[in-house]
Amino acid sequence: MHEFGVTKALVDLCNQEAAKNDIKKVQKIHLKIGRFTGFSPDSIVFYFEHLKNKTRCSNASIVFEEIPIEIECASCRKRNTLEDPVLLCPNCGSDRIHLISGREFFVSSIEGE
Amino acid sequence: MKRIKILKPVLVSNQQRAKENRAVFDRMNSLVINIIASPGAGKTSFIKNLILGLKERYRILVVEGDIRGQIDSKSISLLGVDVIQINTATECHLDAFMTAQVLPKMKKKYDLILIENVGNLVCPAEFDIGEDYKLAILSTPEGDDKPLKYPLLFHLARVVVINKIDLQPYVDFSTDRAKINIKKENPRATIFEVSARTGQGFEKVLRHVQKEINARNRKKSKS
Repeated sequence: MHEFGVTKALVDLCNQEAAKNDIKKVQKIHLKIGRFTGFSPDSIVFYFEHLKNKTRCSNASIVFEEIPIEIECASCRKRNTLEDPVLLCPNCGSDRIHLISGREFFVSSIEGE
Repeated sequence: MKRIKILKPVLVSNQQRAKENRAVFDRMNSLVINIIASPGAGKTSFIKNLILGLKERYRILVVEGDIRGQIDSKSISLLGVDVIQINTATECHLDAFMTAQVLPKMKKKYDLILIENVGNLVCPAEFDIGEDYKLAILSTPEGDDKPLKYPLLFHLARVVVINKIDLQPYVDFSTDRAKINIKKENPRATIFEVSARTGQGFEKVLRHVQKEINARNRKKSKS
């Protein structure tokens, strides 16, 4: 339910960047979203369809790119991708792990003219 | 058609504002704790116990985040500490901009600022508000599986408080299981067991917070 504010921030950011780069009509927004964030793509699209109206993004669609949860174990040094955010090493069971990816939430690029 | 690289976090403006809030809190040398839990987990009662144990020694400010009303801020002001209410209206969490509204209203320097976020285990976890750390409260009637169901909050919380341990005989809650589940998300979490109703277990929490405030003061006096 917090996607409303987040999507508003997304539209604002894309409009600012479009203006800065002289893009009048944004066609695509490439959004990277880590699997260890609490944001739901469906919810973002739901709000986006309303919030984009009368902005440079009014014709735009969002292309989501999911980033997996990746960890490195400080005990056995193995890297693993996790399906669920249970932060234990699947190889040796250690809890001494570093989160390498999965918390991202950023606009990688915009396309338009 | 052109493609422009952006590489900026969506919440860039919130992050920037949180950084500014943190700088203000740091200048005042305040320890700021962002308290997050579901509705009814005992956030306000937890805060009251901290106030009663620490108010003689430290200057305390409580910031109350609620969708509407002033129920909690009224009951906390009866304890003789400063309270600032933020009503979020439709939003299910505090963000850095709402928290910034507090800054001009602060009447003095505080040693400890307790921010009670909106009751919710999901959304508040995503928003940095400029706190030193997040403290999550899990109460026994909610069940010991909650850390696995709401992993982000328990991953990010430096301190997790298990509340309502006095109710444990009446509910299906295993403290050992809860601790295992918390550690699965956050191996380094500091965990306390308390009853905010009876006061049980608060000596350790008070010692912990006191130590953090004192460490901050020492750091400040060195710099």
